Amino acid sequence: MTSVLPAWLRARQQAAQQRYESTPTPKRGDEQWRFSNIKQLNFENLSGKASPADAADLISRSVGLATPTAKFVFLNDELIHSESSLATSIICLPLAEAFEKHSDLVEQHFMKQETRLGSAKYAALHEAYVKSGLFVQVPENQIVEGAIEVHHWISGGVTIFPHTLVVTGKSSQVRVVDIFHSVDTETSGLVIAFNDLSAGQNSSLDYIAIQDLNEVSRIISINETSTARDARAKGFVLNTGAAWARNESLSRLEGPGAHSDMLSVSIPDREQEYDQRTYQHHVSEGAYSDLLYKNTLYGHSKTVFSGLISVDEKAHHTDAYQTCRNLLMTDDCEANSMPGLEINADQVKCSHGSTSAQISDEEIFYLQARGIDPTRARQLIARGFSVEVVERLKDESIEALVLSYIDEKFNGIAKD
Amino acid sequence: MKSTTLDISARSLQINNLHATLENGTEILKGVSLEIPTGEIHAIMGPNGSGKSTLSKVIAGHESYVPTAGEILLDGVDISEMSIDERSRAGIFLAFQYPNEVPGVSNANFIRAALQARLPKGEEIDAVAYYKSLYEKMDLLEMDRKFTGRAVNEGFSGGEKKRNEILQMMMLSPKYCILDETDSGLDIDALKIVAKGVNAMRSADRGMLLITHYQRLLDYIKPDQVHVMAEGRIVKSGGPELALELEEHGYDFLKEPALA
Amino acid sequence: MSYQETATAILDEETHDAINIDRTKGDFTFPERNKFDAGWGLSSKTVDYICDVKQDPDWVREFRHKALAVFESKPMPTNWATEDLNNIHFDKIRYYLSDGEKPKRTWDEVPPEILETFERLGIPQQERAFLAGVEAQYDSEAAYSNMKEELTKQGVIFVTSAEGLKEHEEIFRPWFGKVIPTGDNKFSALNSAVFSGGSFIYIPKGVKLKQPLQAYFRINSESFGQFERTLIIADEGSEVMYMEGCTAPKFETATLHSAVVELVALKGAKIQYITVQNWSSNVFNLVTKRGLAMEDAEVRWIDCNIGSRLTMKYPGVIMKGERARGEVISIALANTGQHQDTGAKMIHAANNTTSNVVSKSISVGKGRSTYRGQVHIPKHLKGCKNNTECDALLINSNSRTDTYPAITVKGNRHATQHEASVSQVSEEMLFYMQQRGLNQGQAMSLAVNGFINDLVREFPMEYSVELKRLIDLEMEGSVG
Repeated sequence: MTSVLPAWLRARQQAAQQRYESTPTPKRGDEQWRFSNIKQLNFENLSGKASPADAADLISRSVGLATPTAKFVFLNDELIHSESSLATSIICLPLAEAFEKHSDLVEQHFMKQETRLGSAKYAALHEAYVKSGLFVQVPENQIVEGAIEVHHWISGGVTIFPHTLVVTGKSSQVRVVDIFHSVDTETSGLVIAFNDLSAGQNSSLDYIAIQDLNEVSRIISINETSTARDARAKGFVLNTGAAWARNESLSRLEGPGAHSDMLSVSIPDREQEYDQRTYQHHVSEGAYSDLLYKNTLYGHSKTVFSGLISVDEKAHHTDAYQTCRNLLMTDDCEANSMPGLEINADQVKCSHGSTSAQISDEEIFYLQARGIDPTRARQLIARGFSVEVVERLKDESIEALVLSYIDEKFNGIAKD
Repeated sequence: MKSTTLDISARSLQINNLHATLENGTEILKGVSLEIPTGEIHAIMGPNGSGKSTLSKVIAGHESYVPTAGEILLDGVDISEMSIDERSRAGIFLAFQYPNEVPGVSNANFIRAALQARLPKGEEIDAVAYYKSLYEKMDLLEMDRKFTGRAVNEGFSGGEKKRNEILQMMMLSPKYCILDETDSGLDIDALKIVAKGVNAMRSADRGMLLITHYQRLLDYIKPDQVHVMAEGRIVKSGGPELALELEEHGYDFLKEPALA
Repeated sequence: MSYQETATAILDEETHDAINIDRTKGDFTFPERNKFDAGWGLSSKTVDYICDVKQDPDWVREFRHKALAVFESKPMPTNWATEDLNNIHFDKIRYYLSDGEKPKRTWDEVPPEILETFERLGIPQQERAFLAGVEAQYDSEAAYSNMKEELTKQGVIFVTSAEGLKEHEEIFRPWFGKVIPTGDNKFSALNSAVFSGGSFIYIPKGVKLKQPLQAYFRINSESFGQFERTLIIADEGSEVMYMEGCTAPKFETATLHSAVVELVALKGAKIQYITVQNWSSNVFNLVTKRGLAMEDAEVRWIDCNIGSRLTMKYPGVIMKGERARGEVISIALANTGQHQDTGAKMIHAANNTTSNVVSKSISVGKGRSTYRGQVHIPKHLKGCKNNTECDALLINSNSRTDTYPAITVKGNRHATQHEASVSQVSEEMLFYMQQRGLNQGQAMSLAVNGFINDLVREFPMEYSVELKRLIDLEMEGSVG
């Protein structure tokens, strides 16, 4: 690549590098890392060597939606394929190209919020090294039908920094799907991903992340969403892969009528650990946020959910809900829930709920009585448990794509 | 309870040219005039959105509506500047269309607190007399005794809520009762019980205003006058026969140009 | 039915009048008449002074010194707790004050101004009316400690902690500091270093107390720290209800109250511990309370926090025996200038153990309430259940409420359920009540009482009436 980075970005990257170095590594006892496995933050065991990969093969393996509106495939942060049927008025470019062609526009929106859920150090690292990803800007009143699909492949013991920046103008609409894959099953890689979503007034922005890395890799993914007046933002995360995944999702409700759905399905097995931290930040009055996270735990897996609804002083008439449900499938799994509320306003309706339970014998019995074997019965029930979240995506083709990953995970578990 | 002696001619709830808007400025009442003398029962009928419920709330002093013109006279005294509870203690009772729940507060305690609020400072309600009176009225309304211990309207069926409104009305014995769609959502048996309560309240010292959608209620509670409300005004007034006319022809006949 | 209801109603009125507690009831003070004063600040000299005055055995002296070292080594927990803790100046507090008198067995022997204090607080009257025994602590030491004679005959022990550790060492020592180790937190270490007063209770096997035992904690002196230490052991199959109340005059300077309470419920025993905390609004109330429940035993904390500047208190139960039960019922009212930081810890350590937490908080004006919870169900257990409900009511746009529970469940043979909600007294509900003739303050008060009504019922009648009254008084003037 010969592109020259804009000056503002070079300055920010230098500052970010310094910030990375001066920010202490999280340690035990840090409230934002409570119940976390801090050892996962030791990145010294990465080999640092990229493995060669056959681009054509990866492109053919990058199967997603039947007919994506646009499609991009990256290998270790390099673009290897792109196609698009988008209207020319819509900007949808690899980030590297956008830095060059739409420098001012990118600067306006790029990593504007403070990372406050614990990974500020890794957000700084991301900012210092980011070179690729996707930039989408949908102008006023433009509706993008279907979805933009992005595949991020990691090959070898490297760290990649995929970035997705989506900006919607007034009354526009777009959906973006990120899928994270490993090229092989045995090399440990690290993904430090960031997605910046900015939903403009009365617009509709859906972001779906499917994390299907190999089970020796790790990922830190940071989501920051801002939702303007009457805008509808929807964020969804599916975790099936990785040895360890840390998701931090922050949704800022900035105008009356703003609506944010925060959704997640995680199905950890064996020694997998998923650590999720969320923040529903009601800055404006009269906004609505609703979070639903569901974990189905197998093997020796472990989940941490820490969620906070924070209602600012002037954010009256807020409706905010938060639910985390854990379905415990084995005797060795561990679910930690820390649902939190911080309310500083009046005429607020907020609630959170958290449950941890197993499938009851009666439920299994009922299915067995219909001729289904107990293993299959348990799986059906667990699948149904996840489907309740997936259905909230309200898009058949995206739901089908997400379910295909969920089913693959369940099939793998059944074979064990 | 004794009421202050007043000039007999002023014994009425009188509404003169009442205008009221929502907080956003939308005008709902566009000049309502109406007089309910004591001893009479008036009914207001009208289609949805005609402003019937708003009228009842404005009379009660609900703060979501801004009165912009006109006056409300209770026995000749303008109550427009009074707070909600002052109007209540002055003798206005509103039976709500959708009575609110008050979680954790029992019916017995609630009604007692409302009665206590009407006594001079330092005076306490006589508990024995209170329960005697409460049970009498509950018997008339065919309410189970368990009812006193249940939280106000919490988990009540529609019919129970409406009966509870009538019970409160009977206990507080107000001068002017406004019943906002008390009959809606009731089956015929519940309607008869509610009507029994209302008829028991009929008195030469009391005026009543029934707001309703259905002529059916008026088979059980005979009104002295019927008013028809449409688009924020009283558009027609008459005797009980007007209700039958409405039942037969619907509200459409109001749209005839002669009436507009 | 009708007779009973009428009767209750009449009784309510009478009790209402009889108790008639005032917000300012505790706000008076008498001149200090201390023979022993450990002076200002805390050092190993302070600890030695306390040991000398109290004639502690060597093992206690050693225990205190070790605790002091732990206290000094631990940082303030401001990484998760409020910065207001930094406003406690440990060198501006007096750690021990007493007149050197032993606790009296009759009120007649109690010095007149101390007697007057407790009479104004209604303690001797309550003792006659419904208590099995009373201990009344004035600054560092109990002024009065007595129990009904028949209980002594049954082998019940109800003495101060100092008497307990000396005269009943064989029962006291094995459990002392075991439920709450010195190093549990900074304030448990502080208490372990300078503790004085509090109760030691032992209920023998199978003895079921019909009436509650009560302790009353009174702070009289300014810039004082009260550090009582209570240990209750309920032997197999026994039952006891213990109630504590507290007040202090309102001083300009901060007062510190930091207690440690350990409960041990042996097989099949049942302990209920009831607190009505009404400290004046200059008191930092930092208390560690935990119970141990063995097989089939039950520990219930019923906790009401109305007073203090800052309360940090998270009663806990370690369910160590099969089928043990733990419960925390909590009411907190935070008015302007107050932060009620309360919660519960439920540690499941045996199969088929059950815990229940119900917490209701009310924030008024600029008051702040916080719920922190911890539920832990470790591996290799089965059939553990937890239910947690926390509801917050906000009254006024400046109040604040936070909820921070943490729930860990390992293995698939358990069930936990957590629900929390935040709500307001809605304008429509107020309109409804006002339409019936209640003014805004009365309507609000009724709504607030309704919000906590089901929990107030968990308190003994004498206390619940007082509680409702206190809440009414707090609500007065909170609406404009």
